[in-house]
Amino acid sequence: MAERVRVVIVDDHSIFRSGLKADLDDTIEVVGEAHDVETAVTAVTDAAPDVVLLDVHLPGVAVPAGTSGGAEVIRRAAASLRQAQDGAEPATRFLALSVSDKAEDVVGVIRAGARGYITKGSSGADVSRAVHAVSGGDAVFSPKLAGFVLDAFGAAVGETASASDELDRLSAREQEVMRLIARGYAYKEVAAELFISTKTVETHVSAVLRKLQLSSRHELTAWANARRLL
Amino acid sequence: METSAEPATDAAAPTPAEAAPRMTRPRACVATGVSAGLAAHLGWPGWIVRTAFLVTSIASGAGLLLYLWLWALTPWAPGDERPTRRAPVAWLLVSAAVVSLLAAAATSPLIALDTVDGGSDGIAWWLFAVLGGVGLAVASGAWASFIDRPEPERGPRHELTIRLVVTALLAVTAAALVLGPTAAWYPAATLAAALAAVLGIGLVYAPTLVTAWRDLTAERTKRIREEQRSEIAAHLHDSVLQTLALIQNRAGATSEVARIARAQERELREWLFAGDTSADSDLGTDLRDFAAALEIDHPVTVDVVVVGESRERASGEVAAAAREAMLNAARHAGGEVSVYVESTPEAVEVFVRDRGPGFALAEVPGDRLGVRESIIGRMRRAGGSGEVRAGVGGVGTEVRLRFPAERTEQMRG
Repeated sequence: MAERVRVVIVDDHSIFRSGLKADLDDTIEVVGEAHDVETAVTAVTDAAPDVVLLDVHLPGVAVPAGTSGGAEVIRRAAASLRQAQDGAEPATRFLALSVSDKAEDVVGVIRAGARGYITKGSSGADVSRAVHAVSGGDAVFSPKLAGFVLDAFGAAVGETASASDELDRLSAREQEVMRLIARGYAYKEVAAELFISTKTVETHVSAVLRKLQLSSRHELTAWANARRLL
Repeated sequence: METSAEPATDAAAPTPAEAAPRMTRPRACVATGVSAGLAAHLGWPGWIVRTAFLVTSIASGAGLLLYLWLWALTPWAPGDERPTRRAPVAWLLVSAAVVSLLAAAATSPLIALDTVDGGSDGIAWWLFAVLGGVGLAVASGAWASFIDRPEPERGPRHELTIRLVVTALLAVTAAALVLGPTAAWYPAATLAAALAAVLGIGLVYAPTLVTAWRDLTAERTKRIREEQRSEIAAHLHDSVLQTLALIQNRAGATSEVARIARAQERELREWLFAGDTSADSDLGTDLRDFAAALEIDHPVTVDVVVVGESRERASGEVAAAAREAMLNAARHAGGEVSVYVESTPEAVEVFVRDRGPGFALAEVPGDRLGVRESIIGRMRRAGGSGEVRAGVGGVGTEVRLRFPAERTEQMRG
């Protein structure tokens, strides 16, 4: 964790931004702040940070109905970064921060491109750890999100993917990993429990994240609408 | 009263107050229970009371008024069963209406002739018969709607039949009035009678219309309330919940302030989303509530994750064992506790994991029955299995409970 990570914090509450800024450990450098969709897009484009800490609920003049401000920031900022870098895929990654209880909102930002989600009640150390994980290319899953994924992909009723490229179901291994995360295991502990390397756990989690982002499984939205995540 | 004349001679003789029982209407009655109730109250035979009502009603109408008054004010006899009526009152009212209207129809040519002769006394009686018939028909519909409908052996089907019969009767009446011979001679009275018949049809359906209107209004009110609620929810989301989250992460997860904030947040969420929780408590809901209670009493944060549709009841052995495990974790470990509940078609599984100092079951003395009895023993007796082991890497403790699904089904049956 020696390398410094450049971060932009997007939240409409200044008190939360300053609180979080004070709490993050010193390997993390806050290079920008924003309080709504428009300023967030500008700040992210200007700073081109490693990670954007993004509130799911954000005010903005032109947030289309049915999506959250956070998801809108991801879409617009990614587009404008791509433009600024002449079409190259931007290295900036998004981590959703939320007090939201609606799975709909959380799944919404993840499907928009966020690499993970943590609750706003998390301590500064937890957030810092998550920022490093996301900047390193990993996905961040809370136990709740893992539980939601298991439900939404039908793992509880015994649905298992038969092919590795199947998007609508989880493989047996992915289910095991998700179950352990839902039980409160850290990646390292999951690795020890399953006798695999931490790197392999991260690969599985990233694969699940990809399925969550790309799957057209209708339960993803149906469940998200009907259920609360927290 | 004879008994009151010589009360001292016989100590066992009832006083007048006792001799006349409180007047109530029997729950199994002919039409309303008034006559039977009055007969029992006075100690007279039922047929005398009924005849008296009939005679006084025909003579001056006083009997009818008394009957209605008693009907309105006399309570049902105490009991739980639904009142049942032997007489088909609605059909009797319809029959009376038919008789009355037929009588009016039969006399209408005579009345028309009367007019030619210059007499006008007949028209009053004729109008009385028509309006009385319409009134009886409407009363029949009302009886079917309000009194017969709740009775299981009559019900909505009976109500519909009565309504259709009454509608047909009133429609024929209205048509006959307009086309009949009296229309030419007494246009005003005939028109009024026809209008009354048409209004009568409306009155028969009024209860349904009123109910529909009320439902519509209730629906609208509910929608407005929902809208307001979601507006308030959105506002609280952006203000209070954010603040509570901030307090939690500034104060440290297990500090007292943070726990209060967390409890407050939970309460607020429950209030905001009161609509979408199921009324009967399943395992997941129950453990969530229990976790909330634990967080208030112990320096601990409990994360409960529920996967799958829980069929397990909150009162079951699994729930009891899981609560015990959570309580243990809160008491002895503190900090962060993870609870995971998964319901699959094969089994219900609960995992309770803490990151405390941990303990090995073998080292616990046999007289400390807590874990052994209340968790493992309880699960085994119920037909499931329980296991307590050290957490991964020697950190903390993990309790695993498993309960096969067939067992759950059996216990339900």
